[in-house]
Amino acid sequence: MTKQEVIDVIKKNIVDNLDDVEVGDIDPSKGMKDYGANSLDIIEVVSCSMRDLDIRIPRSELADIGTIDQLADKFIEHVASK
Amino acid sequence: MAQLSNATNFSLADFHYNDSKDVLLPPQDFEDWMNDPAVKQAFGFFFQQFLAAPKSNTEILSTLDGQRRRVINLTSYNYLGLATHPEVLQAVKDSIDKYGLSASGAPLVSGTTDLHVKFAKQLAEFKQKDDCLLFSSGYGGNVGAIQGMMRKGDVVILDEKGHKSIIDGVTLSGAKLVMFAHNDMDDLAAKLELYKGKRCLVIVEGVYSMDGDLVKLPEVVEICEKFGAPIYIDEAHSSLMFGPGGRGVAEHFGLEDKIGISYGTLSKSFGAVGGFICANASLVRYMRGYASSWNFSCAPSPIIIAGLIKALEVATRDSSLRDKLWENTKYFKQRLQGMGLNLGHTESQVIPIIIGSSGELLFRFAGEMQMAGLFLQPVDYPAVPSHARRYRISMSSQISKEDMDNALDIIENVIAKGLKKAGVDTLSIKP
Repeated sequence: MTKQEVIDVIKKNIVDNLDDVEVGDIDPSKGMKDYGANSLDIIEVVSCSMRDLDIRIPRSELADIGTIDQLADKFIEHVASK
Repeated sequence: MAQLSNATNFSLADFHYNDSKDVLLPPQDFEDWMNDPAVKQAFGFFFQQFLAAPKSNTEILSTLDGQRRRVINLTSYNYLGLATHPEVLQAVKDSIDKYGLSASGAPLVSGTTDLHVKFAKQLAEFKQKDDCLLFSSGYGGNVGAIQGMMRKGDVVILDEKGHKSIIDGVTLSGAKLVMFAHNDMDDLAAKLELYKGKRCLVIVEGVYSMDGDLVKLPEVVEICEKFGAPIYIDEAHSSLMFGPGGRGVAEHFGLEDKIGISYGTLSKSFGAVGGFICANASLVRYMRGYASSWNFSCAPSPIIIAGLIKALEVATRDSSLRDKLWENTKYFKQRLQGMGLNLGHTESQVIPIIIGSSGELLFRFAGEMQMAGLFLQPVDYPAVPSHARRYRISMSSQISKEDMDNALDIIENVIAKGLKKAGVDTLSIKP
């Protein structure tokens, strides 16, 4: 799976879970909070994306991640090691 | 199925989203995780059985070794000792033959007794509001009040350290939940600016329950007045304790008239169980129609209300209980600070001891303290940030000097010396 495909999964879940956000609006160098997500929305997006990718990463490892791009990098590590 | 490489890195936060195909089963890897020996040991600390009342000195059936053990108890919320106060217990005994065990109905239908009416009126007067709704649980109070008054299209702006009951109330209401950084007034103003024009409610807590710090209420009031946003304050950990009259943090700051809705629990300083909100008469009347946890729950037991009427009287007839609480809190904090422990920014009877990121140390120290005779429960991630795991002391007016000194000796021997031995410097950790 490519990084772009992982980013597309995350973008789809952002659109599904946040109001008034379109796929074309999302810049991966930004964080979900920039699109109006609160901490519960972020948990929802991350959980849905992990389910789609069939991986499970502890929240404690995700605490310092700030951008969608960094989240995709973290997901890729786990997709690759499956 | 996703694999768990290291069970101890996971927490309950990781299994909330259930991806099991069978809805009658938890997530596929949840059972594996719960059966991991390290996870089992950590969960072994919870659900400790009390074999007597939640006094400062009591007896538990230890889940660590199955033994009955006398312990100094710094975990229960019995801040003013009212759960075991002889006058309160007598009031309950005196009421039971007349009123029975249960209200046997929802408040609108058949669950309202003269005791409920009397106590609600007393609480409204105490909080200097028009009227009051009594809920059967503290959780249900926040859920019901917020769900009863907020609607889809509205915005609730909540301090990020707000309680789960507030979050659940907002979710149920359909309103948008927006969190501002803890006690960060610039962020609060930015969020109000962002949602200007919407129906906004700002929710703060008097004392934040995991940190023991206070809301910056004067600044919150100033900002909210600028934006015309009403304030809902959760005084679960401050009612009966703060302010010259014990009315809470709003009284402490002299700002009671700036509060739209005052919420409190009846299970902490009040010593029983339940919750309440006090507000203007029109809003309370409206909520009677829409606050589902109020009008679809059985009313609180009348004998509990009888005890609460006495508890309110005992706690407010003079300041002796709260004076004792603050005397004990001051002494205990000074001794803990003398040990070089990180107490966060506590300003209240809730005193965290922050030990850092190690779950292994958190549970080891908790076990050693219990074996030495101190019941002080660990607070783990996700209840608190993973870098700031902690113990949370609930100070009480009823604890004796001897028990305080014994507890302090145990904390020094186990936590202070244990952290030093492990080479952990906690003072720079942010709460």
